[in-house]
Amino acid sequence: MAPGEKIKAKIKKNLPVTGPQAPTIKELMRWYCLNTNTHGCRRIVVSRGRLRRLLWIGFTLTAVALILWQCALLVFSFYTVSVSIKVRFQKLDFPAVTICNINPYKYSAVRHLLADLEQETREALKSLYGFPESRKRREAESWSSDLEGAQPRFSHRIPLLLFDQDEKGKVRDFFTGRKRKVSGSIIHKASNVMHIESKQVVGFQLCSNDTSDCATYTFSSGINAIQEWYKLHYMNIMAQVPLEKKINMSYSAEELLVTCFFDGVSCDARNFTLFHHPMHGNCYTFNNKENETILSTSMGGSEYGLQVILYINEEEYNPFLVSSTGAKVIIHRQDEYPFVEDVGTEIETAMVTSIGMHLTESFKLSEPYSQCTEDGSDVPIRNIYNAAYSLQICLHSCFQTKMVEKCGCAQYSQPLPPEANYCNYQQHPNWMYCYYQLHRAFVQEELGCQSVCKEACSFKEWTLTTSLAQWPSMVSEKWLLPVLTWDQGRQINKKLNKTDLAKLLIFYKDLNQRSIMESPANSIEMLLSNFGGQLGLWMSCSVVCVIEIIEVFFIDFFSIIARRQWQKAKEWWARKQAPRCPEAPRSPQGQDNPALDIDDDLPTFNSALHLPPALGTQVPGTPPPKYNTLRLERAFSNQLTDTQMLDEL
Amino acid sequence: MKGDKLEEQDPKAPQPTPGLRKGDKLKEQDSSPPQPTPRPRKGDKHEEQRLGPEPAAPQQPTAEEEALIEFHRSYRELFEFFCNNTTIHGAIRLVCSQHNRMKTAFWAVLWLCTFCVMYWQFGLLFGEYFSYPVSLNINLNSDKLVFPAVTICTLNPYRYAEIKEELEELDRIAEQTLYDLYKYNSTALEARSRGRRDLRGTLPHPLRRLRVPPPPDGARRARGAASGVQDHNPQVDRKDWKIGFQLCNQNKSDCFYQTYSSGVDAVREWYHFHYINILSRLPETLPSLEEDTLGNFIFACRFNQVSCNQANYSHFHHPMYGNCYTFNGKNNSNLWMSSMPGINNGLSLMLRTEQNDFIPLLSTVTGARVMVHGQDEPAFMDDGGFNLRPGVETSISMRKETLDRLGGDYGDCTKNGSDVPVKNLFPSKYTQQVCIHSCFQESMIKVCGCAYIFYPRPQNVEYCDYKKHSSWGYCYYKLQADFSSDHLGCFTKCRKPCSVTSYQLSAGYSRWPSVTSQEWVFQMLSRQNNYTINNKRNGVAKVNIFFKELNYKTNSESPSVTMVTLLSNLGSQWSLWFGSSVLSVVEMAELIFDLLVITFLMLLRRFRSRYWSPGRGGRGAQEVASTPASSLPSHFCPHPTSLSLSQPGLAPSPALTAPPPAYATLGPCPSPGGITGASSSACPLGGALREERFLPPRQMLPWWEGLALED
Repeated sequence: MAPGEKIKAKIKKNLPVTGPQAPTIKELMRWYCLNTNTHGCRRIVVSRGRLRRLLWIGFTLTAVALILWQCALLVFSFYTVSVSIKVRFQKLDFPAVTICNINPYKYSAVRHLLADLEQETREALKSLYGFPESRKRREAESWSSDLEGAQPRFSHRIPLLLFDQDEKGKVRDFFTGRKRKVSGSIIHKASNVMHIESKQVVGFQLCSNDTSDCATYTFSSGINAIQEWYKLHYMNIMAQVPLEKKINMSYSAEELLVTCFFDGVSCDARNFTLFHHPMHGNCYTFNNKENETILSTSMGGSEYGLQVILYINEEEYNPFLVSSTGAKVIIHRQDEYPFVEDVGTEIETAMVTSIGMHLTESFKLSEPYSQCTEDGSDVPIRNIYNAAYSLQICLHSCFQTKMVEKCGCAQYSQPLPPEANYCNYQQHPNWMYCYYQLHRAFVQEELGCQSVCKEACSFKEWTLTTSLAQWPSMVSEKWLLPVLTWDQGRQINKKLNKTDLAKLLIFYKDLNQRSIMESPANSIEMLLSNFGGQLGLWMSCSVVCVIEIIEVFFIDFFSIIARRQWQKAKEWWARKQAPRCPEAPRSPQGQDNPALDIDDDLPTFNSALHLPPALGTQVPGTPPPKYNTLRLERAFSNQLTDTQMLDEL
Repeated sequence: MKGDKLEEQDPKAPQPTPGLRKGDKLKEQDSSPPQPTPRPRKGDKHEEQRLGPEPAAPQQPTAEEEALIEFHRSYRELFEFFCNNTTIHGAIRLVCSQHNRMKTAFWAVLWLCTFCVMYWQFGLLFGEYFSYPVSLNINLNSDKLVFPAVTICTLNPYRYAEIKEELEELDRIAEQTLYDLYKYNSTALEARSRGRRDLRGTLPHPLRRLRVPPPPDGARRARGAASGVQDHNPQVDRKDWKIGFQLCNQNKSDCFYQTYSSGVDAVREWYHFHYINILSRLPETLPSLEEDTLGNFIFACRFNQVSCNQANYSHFHHPMYGNCYTFNGKNNSNLWMSSMPGINNGLSLMLRTEQNDFIPLLSTVTGARVMVHGQDEPAFMDDGGFNLRPGVETSISMRKETLDRLGGDYGDCTKNGSDVPVKNLFPSKYTQQVCIHSCFQESMIKVCGCAYIFYPRPQNVEYCDYKKHSSWGYCYYKLQADFSSDHLGCFTKCRKPCSVTSYQLSAGYSRWPSVTSQEWVFQMLSRQNNYTINNKRNGVAKVNIFFKELNYKTNSESPSVTMVTLLSNLGSQWSLWFGSSVLSVVEMAELIFDLLVITFLMLLRRFRSRYWSPGRGGRGAQEVASTPASSLPSHFCPHPTSLSLSQPGLAPSPALTAPPPAYATLGPCPSPGGITGASSSACPLGGALREERFLPPRQMLPWWEGLALED
């Protein structure tokens, strides 16, 4: 027996696995193609003609490629949603309604705080525009005459300046009248198109701590300039006032709400909860879930909604802070923060404003379908509001956090983050410059807030339709006003005026609720059945086929290669032993002959009918060189004609 | 070689068909052929007729080396091969099982049933796909938004110096008419009352009072009018009178009265009609407006807390709405972006709404008109707009919504309007509104010969004016009626654009300025902007336009059945009912191809044997018989072609009568002839291992031959 034979016998004995169905890779492929259930493969082997085979290989590979491509498409489109819109008719929860007066504080109450500022504003108006001294103003001046001698505190810090368009860099200070040189960049360069005669623009200059870096803000309109300048100082002053005091200075619920009706039943100020907004003073929220119940309306239509008459005392308005009269109303979810400035709807005095609502609910699917967040817990921004997460809250929180980080203090119109104070220039002298710079960066999306904040997944939305009518009518005014005056008699000691009142109706137009729901368009079962469809369509393949492919192409393939390598290694080892063994040089020859390998493996798998004589008679007797030729001619003549036959196929 | 050939010509049914497990099957085929399809039977007959005497020489090349492409020698062989190797389930039972008729019939019924069910299902699936269903997607996006363009108009048509004369004349006649009809005496009229009679006739289409129904004793014209009275407001007028004016066609043969129940409407419409005529006489280049017009109208402008500048707006003049300013239009150098919602982050304008230069009969509204539209859309102030009240601060909150439709087969919409048969006359992108206006203008030009003044006109067409086109009014009102009832087809011609951006507006109002602040505000305005304080609140208005939220809804469509899902569903059905695949179909195609080729070859062989072989000996017949098989690869390899064709055709000389060697050269291992076993041993093609099932071993061959001989 040849040494190679021995090695193989050993391998077979030692290896527990019987091994693949074929000794060589080519045979394995052939075996697979003939036996698999996958369409196409069999034809590769069975077809006659090289071109035919080539074509069938092409077809089969195309089918495989198509399957892979289509399945990839299916996988990639797995995370799609289907939208269903449901309209339901049911008793609807009434939303929370927050009502604010546009003017934050009663001017008579805050005047002592703002006296200096008012004084200086009037001075500025006078020197800037040459306002005539009206009787009223003189009164005001005498009212604050005790402060007359004091040094102008505010203008000193941030003076209003008059910029001359002709001489660049030259400005005139209102108070001192002297010209000063302006360094730094002029940020908001206004053109003179809005002006007819004057080429002068008004603005103010904000400087950082060391005053080397200054930014000048100019306004095309004097009204805007004055208001902006006033607002800056106003925020400084109010930032130092404690909250309790501010609440006391603002309107009480009884004052603001003259009458109240809900769902046909009378209600009063006790149904409203206080919510203090920094820029709008005391706001009152109706239906704020205060006693764990959410009110609902039984019917649609204006009769069954909220009806309130608001008292808006125009006399108490701050002349410089706000220039319009009215109230703001915000319709929001109970756990939502009312963004008065963003989504508020204005209510005009001496008018009845009817607001018809239509509710739309939206539910989105979160990751991995979309980038929304369920409750904001996965957004790295701390919610400084005491309310449920929303995109708006996230943006404001982000800005406020950045403000505290960069400027050391918090902006006045937003809630305070923990361990921070509102900005005022006693403690933070250059916060305004910092704020303006930061705001500019925020608007230009340099702070990254817009990219960090995600939208909320579910939200309710009330679509509003507003209509207006004159109220009260000429004839009803005669009895209505005295009655309301008598009602409010305890609070107001003067006769109500038509322009001090506003009526507001908020109601559901109908009790239809529209819900927009997203649901996954594909499920795993759908995906699998689609996979099955694709596999079946192109190749009539199944999961078993896939397992078969894995078995044949990976396990058997590698086991064949591994066996080859093992044999080679054995062979190499045998050759190494050669110097001791005289027969050694012969063995590689026998090994090189592929027929030998085949012979060894054949009996194990096929019916060994033809082979035992071949093995028994031929191999041991003949010397190795002759051995090959003999074998091929005699013992395997039958076999070899098979090869021909196969080729004929 | 020759010996080999002869030896192998005996078996009728050539042996290489591998899967013949049972000899009796073949026997059956021979003695009583099965009935799979009529064609193969016929083929079999052919085969038997032809092949019988012929030597089966083609065996030769396959034995040596696989050719480029090979064909079966007979239909039977082909069908055997097909039945053994096909992957179509069911069908194979039907065609290939010959055991008994019951079984065949049973399989035929089963096969037909599944076939029908499958095609019914296929029909349903294709029907669904080709109805192009779409599913709606609603996305909420939140990014920085581009602020839309905002157009604001004074509602105060400007009086041009050029047409001042004519307008004054029109005013005078209007006043005169008012006096005649309603005894309304305006102060201006008093002065000119002397020339009442003369002035009356200067303008065509005078306004007159009509009795309804008109008096029958009227002239022919009046009778013609009786049929053509256009009832705009049925029977709400005072008594039986209607106010209207007459419009006639070119030769006065057909006239109708454009009547109104309300005198206000009638006078306005009449005035409007004449105003259009006067406007059309204006030169193309509009008179340059004074520089300070914007300052006169807009006192202050801020966006995002920043003052506007000259680059932010553009100006145009609208004949009805006066001076209009478009902020953030398409020629704005850098578009405004909103990165925060809210009233402080929007556009804020202070406006002058004083009415000192109004044309009393043209505009009866005071205030201003604002419209929000996309950057590249024209501002149709008629179609969408918002009137602003004086003395009020109007806060308009916007919510953006976009709609994307799937074009093409999925819906009737147009991507950019290029496929709409209406020429876009506006210098803007396609919208449905633009298209409808263009369409109206087009038909106006076609029917009336002149262009309507409020829409742009194409080159070398004039605006309508009754001095040049005397009957355009008649034409226009007729056309207007046709247009409204869609006789012009504009509404069907103009398709929806595929992507639409809309802004939902809602407004809140508050009084502005407040009592306490009005003093300094008015003072300031008067100093800075020449505002006359006596007008007080009615002379000013404020408007804020801002985004309510940065979330915007995108409604988009997507095909609900895509090609991938369609194929998956087809595959599922196919697998379920038939268990075959696309590759099975390819197998069928191959079968058909093979059938055709074999038929062709047989015809060729028959032809040849008829015209060539009778003249030759047995040897020649052999040669010819050998050619078909070899000529098959000849289609693909030119080398054998020249050989096989030239041999019988040109020189059938004995020197070239030995084709077998030529075949041998085809193969890569030219054997020196002789025993096949030796040649194959020289070429170790394929492994030695054979599957018994498909490849009958050599031992079977004698048995095979015996079978064939038996027949």
